[in-house]
Amino acid sequence: MRLPRILRTAPFRLTLLFLALFASVAFALLAYIYVATAGEATRRTDREIQQEMRSLVAAYDRAGLDAVNQSLIERAASERPFLYLLMSKDAKRISGSIEESPVDQFGGKPTWTSFSITDQTPHGRIIKHPARGLQERLSGGEILFVGADVGEDEAYVFSVVRALWGAGLLVIVLGLCGGVLMSRNVTRSMAGLTEVLEAVRGGDLAARAPVRGARDEFDDLAQALNEMLDRLERSMAGHRHAGDAIAHDLRSPLTRLRARLEAAYLDVEAGKGDPTHALAQALEDTDGVLKTFVTVLAIARLQAAGAAPDPVLFDPGELAADICELYEPLCEEKGVEFAAELSKGLQTRGNKEFLAQAIANVLDNAVKYTPSGGAIMLRVRRRSSGEVEFSVTDTGPGVPEADRGRVVERFVRLENSRNQPGAGLGLSLVAAVAEAHRGRLELDEGPGKVGESGPGLRVALILPRAA
Amino acid sequence: MKILIVEDDREAADAMARGLAEAGHACVQASDGEEGLKAAQAGEFDVMIVDRMMPKMDGVKLVETLRRQGDGTPVLFLSALGEVGDRVTGLQAGGDDYLVKPYAFAELIARVEALARRRETGSVATVLRVGDLEMDLIARTVHRQGKEIDLQPREFQLLEFMMRHAGQSVTRTMLLEKVWEYHFDPQTNVIDVHVSRLRSKIDRGFDRPMLQTVRGAGYRLDA
Repeated sequence: MRLPRILRTAPFRLTLLFLALFASVAFALLAYIYVATAGEATRRTDREIQQEMRSLVAAYDRAGLDAVNQSLIERAASERPFLYLLMSKDAKRISGSIEESPVDQFGGKPTWTSFSITDQTPHGRIIKHPARGLQERLSGGEILFVGADVGEDEAYVFSVVRALWGAGLLVIVLGLCGGVLMSRNVTRSMAGLTEVLEAVRGGDLAARAPVRGARDEFDDLAQALNEMLDRLERSMAGHRHAGDAIAHDLRSPLTRLRARLEAAYLDVEAGKGDPTHALAQALEDTDGVLKTFVTVLAIARLQAAGAAPDPVLFDPGELAADICELYEPLCEEKGVEFAAELSKGLQTRGNKEFLAQAIANVLDNAVKYTPSGGAIMLRVRRRSSGEVEFSVTDTGPGVPEADRGRVVERFVRLENSRNQPGAGLGLSLVAAVAEAHRGRLELDEGPGKVGESGPGLRVALILPRAA
Repeated sequence: MKILIVEDDREAADAMARGLAEAGHACVQASDGEEGLKAAQAGEFDVMIVDRMMPKMDGVKLVETLRRQGDGTPVLFLSALGEVGDRVTGLQAGGDDYLVKPYAFAELIARVEALARRRETGSVATVLRVGDLEMDLIARTVHRQGKEIDLQPREFQLLEFMMRHAGQSVTRTMLLEKVWEYHFDPQTNVIDVHVSRLRSKIDRGFDRPMLQTVRGAGYRLDA
């Protein structure tokens, strides 16, 4: 049988555990109180009963039944708190202060018993006193019972113990209710999270857990869950977009490639024309496809890793100087002035390979879009915040402010750059490298409009200060 | 030359063997690591092309085993993986070069031939000679027909690499990797500009150009 849901929650189980613990402690406590007080009172009473029994037995042995009877009569008059019952061999009452023995089964050996005495107050209320009694067979065969009220102390302790039992029961009942309430409370708090998880499992990545503002651990959990979902959603969207974009960007060159090969094949089959040119072009197309492919892989790997692999401490100025050396002749050839301003002695941590590639990509773009007569400047410096900034400024057409966020996305190429080669992945890779280094990418306007050229673009890759 | 191809993808291995045969090389194929190890131990090869991920024994293990046994045959690793770390583990295991799939065939041939060549010129020469071009590696000078050619440090390195691989195609990626030590593909023709600068220095004013452009592959320095 399955328990109701509310009884299967963790808080309810914890409540049960604590109740069990409490009950054991309470029981141990009660037992101790009993042994220390009521037990002591009982033992004292028992000692007194035994003494009384011995003196009566002594009287019997010395002077027979009459002496016992005589003693009983005397004692009954002296307000002693003992109860007596003298019975014949066959358990018939001979004399005494009570009508019948509270001992149910008497085998002949001395037998102790606990019973209660009913008393009536002057107001007619009936009070029960706990009592102890001892029954023995006398040497002549008669049976003697001696009993005694265990006294006010023990009666009090007994009532306290009874009250404690009652209270314990009350605690357990209240505890169970509390457990149910707590469990409902937690279940309600969890319900939001569970709902979100179920929604996500169902494929809805937009679901978010409510943050109630209580700043408790449930809020922390909800917040962490939401952040994780944000990241997941971004990454999924990235992948989906990448999938579409790869399909889009690879389909056209692949279609072109296929057409070229088919045409060349038909030409060769018909025995006319030299396919060399078509094949060379096909090879070029294939190289373009491979380049796109490699870049897509690099981005995917960086995003999947979530961090730059193999980070090392290095001098960013030196890294940039090497890249300058690689790009300077290209700029010169294009008639673009190239300048570098590299701070010396800086230190930063990161993957040199990916950072070099990122800077190379930004320079590739700058060279591509800066017309002859323009200028490109590579700068490495330390910001006052301690961050290290690599920036490339060019005097090309720049990127309109509205589009700056978009050009970083995968495969986005602005309309006016359609005629330039490249898969539009350059800046996405730079953004992925920045993100993997916990850094960021900033796009701004360059030096402004000068005649026909400008306003230019300034792309900055900013790395956090090295820890 | 004799090449051992250890690759579990039959079709890829066949295409590779066909292409290499057309370039004038003899190929032996093995379709998994264990078979590759046996073939490598049985025969003498100039170069081995080893796929990294294969059934039975992966490429790294295969090369490690061979190197332990004292086999120094140059190895070109092929891999679908391409992270920096992968390349490093491949090279640490004893590989000599690393090529990520998918690759251009010209790239494969150029690298295989470069590996074989490296082995031939085992002795340490202080002077490299290709035709009438002479490079003194200690004095860091270059002469053609006795005329000194002034080169920038990087141009010197570029020419040294081309001279060590004279007569072979070297791709732009190879130059970027071996001369600049970058392992990415620039979107612009940066390498072409460096090569054409070098060309203008070593060929201008001489009747016969040495630095050739190889269509679809890269460059070649001819004697």
